Amino acid sequence: MTDTLTEITRADVCVVAVAECFRGDGEIIGSPMGTIPTIGARLARATFEPDLVLSNGESLFFEGTHRLGAKPDEFAAVGWIPYRQVLDVLASGRRHVMMGPVQIDAHGNANISAIGDWAKPKRQVLGSRGGPGNTINHTTSYWIPKHSARVLTATVDMVSCIGYDRAAQVGTSARFHEVRRVVTNLGVLDFVSVDGAPATMRLASVHPGATVDEIVENTGFELVVPSDVPETRLPDEAELRLIREVIDPRGMRLREVPA
Amino acid sequence: MSEIRPLRDAVAELIHDGDTVAMEGFTHLIPFAAAHEIIRQRITDLTLVRMTPDVIYDQLIGAGLVRKLVFSWGGNPGVGSLHRFRDAVENGWPRPLELDEHSHAGMANRYVAGASGLPFAVLRGYRGTDLGGRTSTVSTVTCPFTGEELAAVAAVNPDVTVIHAQQADRAGNVRFWGLTGVQKEAALAAKRVLVTVEEVVDAFEPRPGAVVLASWTVDAIAEVPGGAHPSYAAGYSVRDNAHYQAWDAVARDRDAFTAWLDRTFPAQREGAVPA
Repeated sequence: MTDTLTEITRADVCVVAVAECFRGDGEIIGSPMGTIPTIGARLARATFEPDLVLSNGESLFFEGTHRLGAKPDEFAAVGWIPYRQVLDVLASGRRHVMMGPVQIDAHGNANISAIGDWAKPKRQVLGSRGGPGNTINHTTSYWIPKHSARVLTATVDMVSCIGYDRAAQVGTSARFHEVRRVVTNLGVLDFVSVDGAPATMRLASVHPGATVDEIVENTGFELVVPSDVPETRLPDEAELRLIREVIDPRGMRLREVPA
Repeated sequence: MSEIRPLRDAVAELIHDGDTVAMEGFTHLIPFAAAHEIIRQRITDLTLVRMTPDVIYDQLIGAGLVRKLVFSWGGNPGVGSLHRFRDAVENGWPRPLELDEHSHAGMANRYVAGASGLPFAVLRGYRGTDLGGRTSTVSTVTCPFTGEELAAVAAVNPDVTVIHAQQADRAGNVRFWGLTGVQKEAALAAKRVLVTVEEVVDAFEPRPGAVVLASWTVDAIAEVPGGAHPSYAAGYSVRDNAHYQAWDAVARDRDAFTAWLDRTFPAQREGAVPA
């Protein structure tokens, strides 16, 4: 291996930024949706978050670190979590899901249902799925492979997943509500409350090679931008080896975020 | 008491124009053969209910048999969009499709309420979202003990629930195992129940974790080996992933879909009524 920092791709940085979302979660269910979220969650567990509970996306909890796309019988199964049982456990707050929104606003309200007028949408997408229950019952993060003002938008056409202003209106029912972070191909965003108002999105770090201006220009609402925005950390050698040789040897992450 | 019957007769007797029909089964045991029989018999103006509409409902929607869809996720698993579903919602082709959109937990709880003979179910999800403003089947209820305002979702009681199972026995009991979804609740919530099975056996051997539907909860059983294809039946078949991938190209184009319909259901296109 001749890994050097110059060979680290943006996709590798995104994987590590996703993994960092799960830091400190401990023994809860991590539910990553999509390619880079899945790689990131497996990386987190293989390194700094060993107690994170992961499923193979179908019905098995597994242990060990498996490659993306592994067949069900390749996983070292340690438990059984068919679809229905996810619904039984999530109300306790012990789950952290990472979903992909088609639109998200400054408070973290997300739309996964339809673009345009709901009654006759321009683009019907997959539907609300677990979003309404996930976001009110446990921690949620989001992954956006292409940071644009069409996705990070001032108003979402439909709130399928609730952000900080809606959670505040709901009150105690939203006792476990937390939108932790939004990771994009350009940077990492988190949420900060100013003067007790419902939290809004803040630029937490910029991926190496991207700029603050690029992120601000491609965001459809006003971000909180600190005077000094750090760079997203790079993967270390051990993380790179896990990403490239163990979890994603076929380079599926590069399809989501091209080099 | 259930009766073991040919699929064609069971569909003709139990499912009628205008019915609300739930076809359940998650990842495997998806009752494709029964859906195809509905297309063959041109049973129309249906309200279809399903937690996760996939290719099975794309086919029924594209065939123009569906008026309304009650759902929480619509996609081709592992592949992408359902193009017939999207074309109906976005462009009204071949007819407009009304939506009643819910969350996963909402759908499961609606079946549970229906199966329990209760008018609604209670949960925290939905609070704060826009779903309530877009359907008459979501509202709020105040907890009489704590005062917490919660979401209420109306019970679902399908006219007919259709599922696929691994086995029935000669007494008309049904048993399925592996990944189970909401089939039991969907069946118990329905006025009529049709089950296709891989095989009819003399008696069930003990099997931990299996779900049994007693004979008195089922109206008709049809023996249809492979009736879940291209999904699978654990212990009997494997998932035909290539079929799901190939469906994307068929469904993406109206002409390609119509050609598939003509090819697969020739009599249907001539308007022939099955004997």
